[in-house]
Amino acid sequence: MTFDIEFQDVSFQYEGARSPALQHVNLAVRPGEIVLLTGPAGSGKTTLCSCTNGLVPHYHEGTLTGQVLVRGYDTKRARIGGLSSLVGLVFQDPESQLVTASVADEVAFGPENLGVPREEIARRVAEALEATRLAGYDERDPFSLSGGEQQATVIAAIYAMHPEIYVMDEPLANLDPAGRAQVLRLVIEVARRRGKTLFLVEHSLEETLPFVERLLVLDGGRLVRDGPVDQVLAAGDIPGVFTRPPIVRLAEAVRLDPLPLTPQDFYARLQHQYPLGRYTESAKQEPAPPDGPAVIEFQDVHFSYNGQSAALDGVDLQIGQGELVAILGRNGSGKTTLVRHIIGLLQPERGRVTVLGQDASRTPVHELARRVGFCFQNPNHQLVAFNVLDEISFGLNAHGIAAEEIESRIQQSLEFVGLQEYRQAEIFDLGKGQRQRLALASVIALRPDILVIDEPTTGQDPRMAQEIFEILRRLNQAGTTVLLITHNLGLAAEYATRAVVVRAGKIDFDGSFRQLLPDLERLRANSLELPQTTLLASLLAAHGVQPWLTSYEQMARALQALTGAAGAH
Amino acid sequence: MPIEFQKGESTLHRLDARTKLLLFVGLTVVAVIIIDPIFIAILFLILYSFGARAVDRALLNRNLRVLVVIFSTFSLFQILFFTPKDAFLLFHLIPGREWIPVTVEGLIRGMAVFFRFFIVVLSVHLMLYTTPPVYLVLGLTRRERRRGLLRTAGVTVLLGAVFYAAARLAIPEQIARLPFEAGAQIALAAVAAVLAAFVVFSLATHGLPPEMGLALSLGFATVGILSQQSQRITDAQKARGYDVKPKNLIRRVRVLTALLLPIFLATLERSQDIAVAILARAFDYNISARTYRQELRFAAPDYLVMAVIVGLILGGLALNAMGVGNPTEQFVLRALGA
Repeated sequence: MTFDIEFQDVSFQYEGARSPALQHVNLAVRPGEIVLLTGPAGSGKTTLCSCTNGLVPHYHEGTLTGQVLVRGYDTKRARIGGLSSLVGLVFQDPESQLVTASVADEVAFGPENLGVPREEIARRVAEALEATRLAGYDERDPFSLSGGEQQATVIAAIYAMHPEIYVMDEPLANLDPAGRAQVLRLVIEVARRRGKTLFLVEHSLEETLPFVERLLVLDGGRLVRDGPVDQVLAAGDIPGVFTRPPIVRLAEAVRLDPLPLTPQDFYARLQHQYPLGRYTESAKQEPAPPDGPAVIEFQDVHFSYNGQSAALDGVDLQIGQGELVAILGRNGSGKTTLVRHIIGLLQPERGRVTVLGQDASRTPVHELARRVGFCFQNPNHQLVAFNVLDEISFGLNAHGIAAEEIESRIQQSLEFVGLQEYRQAEIFDLGKGQRQRLALASVIALRPDILVIDEPTTGQDPRMAQEIFEILRRLNQAGTTVLLITHNLGLAAEYATRAVVVRAGKIDFDGSFRQLLPDLERLRANSLELPQTTLLASLLAAHGVQPWLTSYEQMARALQALTGAAGAH
Repeated sequence: MPIEFQKGESTLHRLDARTKLLLFVGLTVVAVIIIDPIFIAILFLILYSFGARAVDRALLNRNLRVLVVIFSTFSLFQILFFTPKDAFLLFHLIPGREWIPVTVEGLIRGMAVFFRFFIVVLSVHLMLYTTPPVYLVLGLTRRERRRGLLRTAGVTVLLGAVFYAAARLAIPEQIARLPFEAGAQIALAAVAAVLAAFVVFSLATHGLPPEMGLALSLGFATVGILSQQSQRITDAQKARGYDVKPKNLIRRVRVLTALLLPIFLATLERSQDIAVAILARAFDYNISARTYRQELRFAAPDYLVMAVIVGLILGGLALNAMGVGNPTEQFVLRALGA
């Protein structure tokens, strides 16, 4: 039988790298299969994807041993162009994959390269835009679209090439929950519509598992798991490498069989297997938010980028000293616009922003920056040096910190984010997660009273995301007021003390997570996705489970109580 | 402000990309030929009025304003140092020693120079503002399509006629000096013109190789991203407590160098991204057989614009040949009684 993708004892080491990126990988994917590959950052997932269309070893040079066969063609001997006509590869960051000035040109680019006749190109563009729900976007500038639309454009561009195999390397990583759901649906539909092979790489198992047939786990360049989804899940976690979604672990804890993949399945199975009692344990009191003096104050703030549509529309907001506030909301709701006012990168058209007693629109940014640390969403947009040491000292020098002290501050901030070993490293050698932490370290080194951080967990694996939240909590406990923009409702609920939801430039909600999480309608309206654990909790609300539970431990306790008393049938 | 494509529906927007390229080349030639300040100023105003209808006037002005100083300097140089032998002297800038004479001719040509430069620059601006870069590149890129013999012959003869007329007007003495009798001279000049026309036409239709065309188009696309990128980096530096607009000049230079590094990194990263992105979309599949979604086709306004350009060039040459290429200068000199 011919496989669509076949790896025969494949190892690959990038030129100049100290260790191999892939080691003795054996893998065979049948035509029409839908496969999910997961694994921690740096485990070789992108390298594996790049092997399928010849980018490895033809563009990214190095030593490739073993054989990669794509529909029987040896990739070592084929050209990237030829392989690309068979394998449609979509990467993580949509913006970096856009090369033309209109959506239609973008979609036509691949077919043009393949020499498809003009009339056929027009047909394919229309078809691809239809399939990706981008009809009518033909003449839009791809760079002006939202992240989800951009990724849909990239997928349309691949779709129009009519590949036999779709390889998608974390296509959801840079999107907000609404975009993620949209693009995931698309990815699955696109492959199914034509019955093509789909090789999907993703960290977020919760969302993707229900759609796939086969699950692979990569660690340190080795394929450590490979099999049908239920079998791989039944084989348990691999510490630090593969953590099954909480819902699966919870199901295992109460011995549900077969293992459910969605909260709805879980609930149905639970009801089927157990006579459910009532959960009576009362929840711990919510810790009272710190009651410090206001350090940030927005008074009726209005702002617009083009003088027409309002990006901020009468925002009133007070942040007290010592709070850890999560700013939530869909893309384009005004979250980033809001926080940019805090450091004076934007000035209100009307109203007033006061930060630590100073009028933020009158104080120069570099002066506000002495007390307010600001971390941008994409670490690449804020790195200013070639290596780690220069990066951290840049701000310290700008602040006029004495040379003796700089040394100790660098050390401390690197320790704080766990990058001590990378002290001498070059920026280019750091992965995205490490760059994010370096960006954080260079801000922490300035010892700000307030830290504003814009989506620190985009594109990070679950473990790194959790680490960043841990760092933020430690900073907060040390007295720093933290404002954090995030799409990760689960982590935010676990770590932050207060939720602020921004919607169309207005504050839609401001309060505790215990109030926010059960408000499903509001969550939906702001395209905030409940973590599966909480979704399960809300399904079990009728049995006395608090619908705002987020942590695995709380939920496990509740489930034990609900089922333990009764025992299994 | 980078000069980027602005969406629109104006006459200029609707012209074929190649017409706008020709317009730019043609106006550059016109700016060389026409030396009368009033003619050239009127031409500039006409072009500007088309431009103001095509793109936001504020944007147009902002980018032109920078050049006023530079071109005024050019004008000034022309006024001060263009002093033909028999020029009509107005006064000396340093009267005692009779240094630096200012003449009528210098003054008038100085004014003309200002507009001549501006016409060239404005035509480039308008081309870039009203044409998506991809189309410009497509206009320049080689096609595999074979052209009909009749069409090639037709265009070559037409272009040859223009060249011949231009040669008769611009270099009549050189043609007359050819060592043949009058009829043969004309025939020779005509054949040379047609030959030149054929070469130009083949070169123009041959175009750039697609690799180069695409490299150009990607380059154009990167310009916009780079300007965004430098804004982001500046913001990041401000947020780290860096004063990006210090009063001290030396520190300002240092600020610039601090900006260059991350921009360099960003550009490097972007070019890598683009390389991977286009390779993953089969860019090197078979580049000589590449097809194009958009077909470029000339319409009536395109031919009109070309005719106007040819008319201006030939007209300018004719006026020069008749010795009335600069009526303004002649009028002023006559008025002054020279």
